[in-house]
Amino acid sequence: MAGTDPIHQFVIEDMIPIHLSGDGTAGSGLNLSFTNSSLFMVATVVAVSAYMLLAPGKRSLVPNRLQLTSELMYEFIANMLRSSAGKQGMVFFPFVFSLFAFILVANLFGMVPYFFTVTSHIIVTFALAMLVISVVTIYGFAKHGLKFFKLFAPSGIPAPVLLIVVPIEVVSFLSRPISLSVRLFGNILAGHITLKVFTGFVVSLGAAGFLGWLGALLPLTMGVALTALEFLVAAVQAYVFAVLTSMYLNDAVHPSH
Amino acid sequence: MQEPQDTEGRPDSAKGVTGDLASRIASAKRERQLEDNRASGGGSDNSGIARGLRLGSEFAAAILVGTGIGYVIDQGLKTSPWGLLIMLLVGFAAGVLNVIRAVAEMDKEAKASPASGAGSDAVTEKPDDF
Repeated sequence: MAGTDPIHQFVIEDMIPIHLSGDGTAGSGLNLSFTNSSLFMVATVVAVSAYMLLAPGKRSLVPNRLQLTSELMYEFIANMLRSSAGKQGMVFFPFVFSLFAFILVANLFGMVPYFFTVTSHIIVTFALAMLVISVVTIYGFAKHGLKFFKLFAPSGIPAPVLLIVVPIEVVSFLSRPISLSVRLFGNILAGHITLKVFTGFVVSLGAAGFLGWLGALLPLTMGVALTALEFLVAAVQAYVFAVLTSMYLNDAVHPSH
Repeated sequence: MQEPQDTEGRPDSAKGVTGDLASRIASAKRERQLEDNRASGGGSDNSGIARGLRLGSEFAAAILVGTGIGYVIDQGLKTSPWGLLIMLLVGFAAGVLNVIRAVAEMDKEAKASPASGAGSDAVTEKPDDF
């Protein structure tokens, strides 16, 4: 039944084991092994870079199809960032675009059978979310100094109420990386497990003779529909991550609400 | 000699054609804009499951973070269980705040695209202040 185990697809395997300063037993020392997850992260970065370098091609005024797709993607993210973080937020364009492209391509790679889905591990999405929040915090303090704390204290609120509002705002701020990472991870993980379970039914029912064959038609249709839905989810989640990133960056650029 | 005569023969209709073309381009552009708005507005959280997961994770994350902070405070100051209890409530409030903000933003997106202005008009007035 290993073929239909819905969790098996998320197992991380060492491809090139690199163990530093450990005695070789599990959990000791520093494990820097090159895993299947690392492989697909590298593949994602290579694919995005190659696409963005090669697609513009001759940079002709009248673009061909490939150039058009890359320009559409550029303008899509640029407009989104401009509308939510304003002109000053555009310094973060390379950051937001890289995040969007990485997540989108990693999600889409995950849709290829036998490929590993990088974003289905919460540590990966959490690292991305922490990167966003660190950029927001560091840039906010570097740009505005202590005025960045105004983010936690909306203007025009009497001092006694601040006592209640400030902790709430702080917790709300600290919950952002959690919700950002859990959303992406949860969507991708749940989608892939559902897909595997439904298509697994096809295999088990198909082994049960003619009636099983007829019954297998139902999960097969579901599998086809879910595949389409998963492609949608892959794109939507990359977009949602980018939108929320630019909204949080807006807080760093303009801390007073 | 033939061409100018042709256009001179029916200047009104020629003008009519270009005027017609201009208006057709304008209306096509307008339609395109509407479609773009609809696509960008509805595309982010079109499906109910995406919206549900969004709100759920916003709410749960704030409670988890609040409770976690309370637990750490208790560990440090030996005030158990008060830090945990108080920060749990603060986390709950932050979760509600997160959800209100998310809904306000979804509502704004839905307002921007006339096609998908699906209900919930009652909440639009207040949360815009946040």
